[in-house]
Amino acid sequence: MQGNGLKIFLTVFFLALSAYYLYPSAQNYIIQRNLDELEGQELQQYREENIQKIRNVGERALSLGLDLQGGMHVTLEVRTDALIRELAVDTDDTFEEVMQVAQARADAQDISIIEAFISEFEQRDPEARLSRYFRNTDAGITRRSSNAEVAQYLQEQADNAIDRAISIIRDRVDRYGVTEPSIQKQGARRVVVELPGIDEPDRVRNLLKGTARLEFHLMTEPTDLQRSLQQIIEYFEQTDAVDDAPASDTTANDNAPAEGDEGESEPIATADGADTAGAEEMLDMADTSDTADAAFDPTSLIDQPDVEEPTNELLAVMQPLGEGVVFGIVSEQDTARVNRLIQREEVLQMLPNNVRLLYTASPVGQTESGLEMYYLLGVREEVEMTGEVITDARVDFDELNQAEVTMVMNSDGARTWARLTGANVNKNIAIVLDGYVYSYPTVINRIVGGRSSITGLDSRTEAQDIVTVLMSGALPAPVDIVEERTVGPSLGEASIRAGFISVTVGLLLVALFMIWFYRTAGLVADMALLFNIIFIFGILAAFNATLTLPGIAGIVLTIGMAVDANVLIFERIREEQATGKTLKAAIDAGYAKAFSAIFDANITTFFVGAILYSFGVGPIQGFAVTLMAGILSSLFTAIVVSRIVFDWMVNERRMSVSYG
Amino acid sequence: MRLFENANFQFISNRRTAYIISAVLIILSLGSLMTRGLELGIDFQGGMEFVVESSSQLGAVAVRGALASALGQEPEVKSFGENQILVRTSVEGEISDVQQRILDGIASAFPGSNPTTVKTDIVGPRFAKDLMQGAIYSIFGSLLVIFVYILIRFEWRFGVGAITAIFHDVLITLGVFSILQGLLPFSLQIDQTIIAAFLTIVGYSLNDTVVVFDRIREYSNLFKTETYDSLVNRSINNTLSRTIVTSGTTLLVVAVLFIFGGEVLRGFAFALILGIGIGTYSSVFVASPVVVELRERAAAGRRF
Repeated sequence: MQGNGLKIFLTVFFLALSAYYLYPSAQNYIIQRNLDELEGQELQQYREENIQKIRNVGERALSLGLDLQGGMHVTLEVRTDALIRELAVDTDDTFEEVMQVAQARADAQDISIIEAFISEFEQRDPEARLSRYFRNTDAGITRRSSNAEVAQYLQEQADNAIDRAISIIRDRVDRYGVTEPSIQKQGARRVVVELPGIDEPDRVRNLLKGTARLEFHLMTEPTDLQRSLQQIIEYFEQTDAVDDAPASDTTANDNAPAEGDEGESEPIATADGADTAGAEEMLDMADTSDTADAAFDPTSLIDQPDVEEPTNELLAVMQPLGEGVVFGIVSEQDTARVNRLIQREEVLQMLPNNVRLLYTASPVGQTESGLEMYYLLGVREEVEMTGEVITDARVDFDELNQAEVTMVMNSDGARTWARLTGANVNKNIAIVLDGYVYSYPTVINRIVGGRSSITGLDSRTEAQDIVTVLMSGALPAPVDIVEERTVGPSLGEASIRAGFISVTVGLLLVALFMIWFYRTAGLVADMALLFNIIFIFGILAAFNATLTLPGIAGIVLTIGMAVDANVLIFERIREEQATGKTLKAAIDAGYAKAFSAIFDANITTFFVGAILYSFGVGPIQGFAVTLMAGILSSLFTAIVVSRIVFDWMVNERRMSVSYG
Repeated sequence: MRLFENANFQFISNRRTAYIISAVLIILSLGSLMTRGLELGIDFQGGMEFVVESSSQLGAVAVRGALASALGQEPEVKSFGENQILVRTSVEGEISDVQQRILDGIASAFPGSNPTTVKTDIVGPRFAKDLMQGAIYSIFGSLLVIFVYILIRFEWRFGVGAITAIFHDVLITLGVFSILQGLLPFSLQIDQTIIAAFLTIVGYSLNDTVVVFDRIREYSNLFKTETYDSLVNRSINNTLSRTIVTSGTTLLVVAVLFIFGGEVLRGFAFALILGIGIGTYSSVFVASPVVVELRERAAAGRRF
């Protein structure tokens, strides 16, 4: 056999290589089957005996994409605009204006917001210094720093922020407990997180996004708040309803103002549900909300205007309370609407100085129709203490077996806490996490010892998640979810089944066709096709590629296109035979002449695959990989493998091969 | 089995007919694209898509109405698989929040349906812009690479012929997508998988075209006395068997994908079926005639 020694060697070599790379996947399959079938004691035993093996094999086996095994793929982006706000000190109106313009420009022109901010700032006043807003003694940025230095500082902070965010997120994911998570930086501002097997996407979203800003605030003076409440109600009484809702207004309240009953006819059905919001027995603090509710009397509400008169926008969606630190009560579907109303310039002016309105994290009751209601509280803007002083956080249970989070502070924190509680006896201190007030207990005594707790939680999982987020640290800046793809496990299984059926049926049909059309040669081509499939999987395993559903589609496509190379050769051989050549000579000529066509045709598809791989993400890359792998292996099997077989058949066995 | 063994169809001499057919198809496609346009998927437009499974099959129209108040605007609803529907909305807000509203809306409008989410796809507006950019780069990148490659391996006239065939294929396939939008039970929205399908069609169409070109090149070296017309015609005829068989097998497997591959791949498989069919047509009736035209004009001394 002329020159076939090399060809045989290569074939066997690649076969062996494929087998080697695919072996862990086979092992993995068997292990998974065992894990599914065994139970209880046996399962435990099996696990323990094979723990090392399971882990090794798991890592080296062919990994399935999330669209096949189920799970969550999330791309997070650090909000650089929020970061800039965080870093800024002494902001003023000019700062806000520049920020707004910068944000608009950054979106429109696709430049970084830092660039946009700096250029807009310098445009307004070339003499002005950025150090007016940005100072950081640790980083060496003082009042005297040049704009270029500040620009560099901002850039470094932004770059650092994403790296810190990645390690924090990694920590949170570890604590949550996911098998084989993948967390990768993408570009300069994004993180891609892949979590296989997740079945609680809501929880995970909160876990990833939660900034974990724990803050302790003092609260507003009740008399100040009441006065503001009156003023604000009157303001809305006098102004007409303005449709400032965006097109995607979430509430169904467009008909609410007309009825005007929204506030009145939905009294709180379960007013005592509210005491979960404040219970603080552990810490010498009194339960506040009981007092608030005891005073609440639906009939004391301000009369609703008649339908014909101009309506009060605010009262339509909020029950005013003005008791203690509670501004009003809002049902869950009206919160966005109320936010828009209270964030108007005129309203903000009427609030007491340096006071913000924040919602409680847990509902204080339910309306008759089962909607949950939340308090809107007056909270002082100044942050008295942050979560940085927390050294330990734990899930605990109070006497009512409700979950709560106990926090321990370091010595600085303990000192500050003692001072704070000591100076504010009989007043409320709000514990705010990510902008929601979890509890606002009344201080009974000065607290030494640096302990505090967050109560009013819904469940143990909520407490656990808060602990996770507190212990992993606060994110340096808020992150947004800019892309998410989640697939449930059942859908993943269905996709695997569909893919498997497609490959099998496709293979069968093509194989039968080849035999029918090309006879014996077709049989050889089918054999080459089988090798082809093995090699494709081998390549995938060798490069640790992930198999996705489009990837399986790529394999199916390859089955159809792989025969092409064979077809080109066979057709050519037929033609050569027609000119009178002997079988052997025809085979030689066929292979030689068809080669250039095969090469040119397939290489272009290969290029397309390469481009798809570099510009695509996720499942598309899976498709590109199988396409490229398929082309390479089909070239090899058609030209090398089938040639070996034909040569053997014709030369050694003197068979008369039919080409159809 | 022999097919077209001694074919001798007059492809080149009858190329005017092919031009007319192609022209009609292209005009129809352009017309549809300009009036009805193409539906972009959330990959390129941004938005949220949820596949909701319920205990029984829910009607798309009924669900659309039921969710209009929950979301504040009517979402797009399509049936997806067995007992599954796809809800697509461009409402802004927290993902978990929107998802809950959809599930609550369905649960209250269809008691006992127990809706759960089995798949979510969410793309933010800036990310969609990035994906769109990536897709455009892929397309132009591929076209460039292909043109350069053909230039290197064959002469420039072949390059023009190949590119013409590719544009012809993609335009008509897009046109069919545009015309059939909303009429078929599966999604014809343009998203990343469809772009991948189109690029595959490009690669595949090229396969075909290159095989014919290779034969033309071989024959023009062998048969120097033959007229170019008859030479090209012969090339096409001799490669006809192979062209039909390869298209046949590829169409076969893509049809299998279409039937068995599941809902997610249906639009993808459909695009491939269209593209392969049209691509085969164009290799025979568009690419080679263009080459002939260019050669003739050169021979006639005109400026091409």
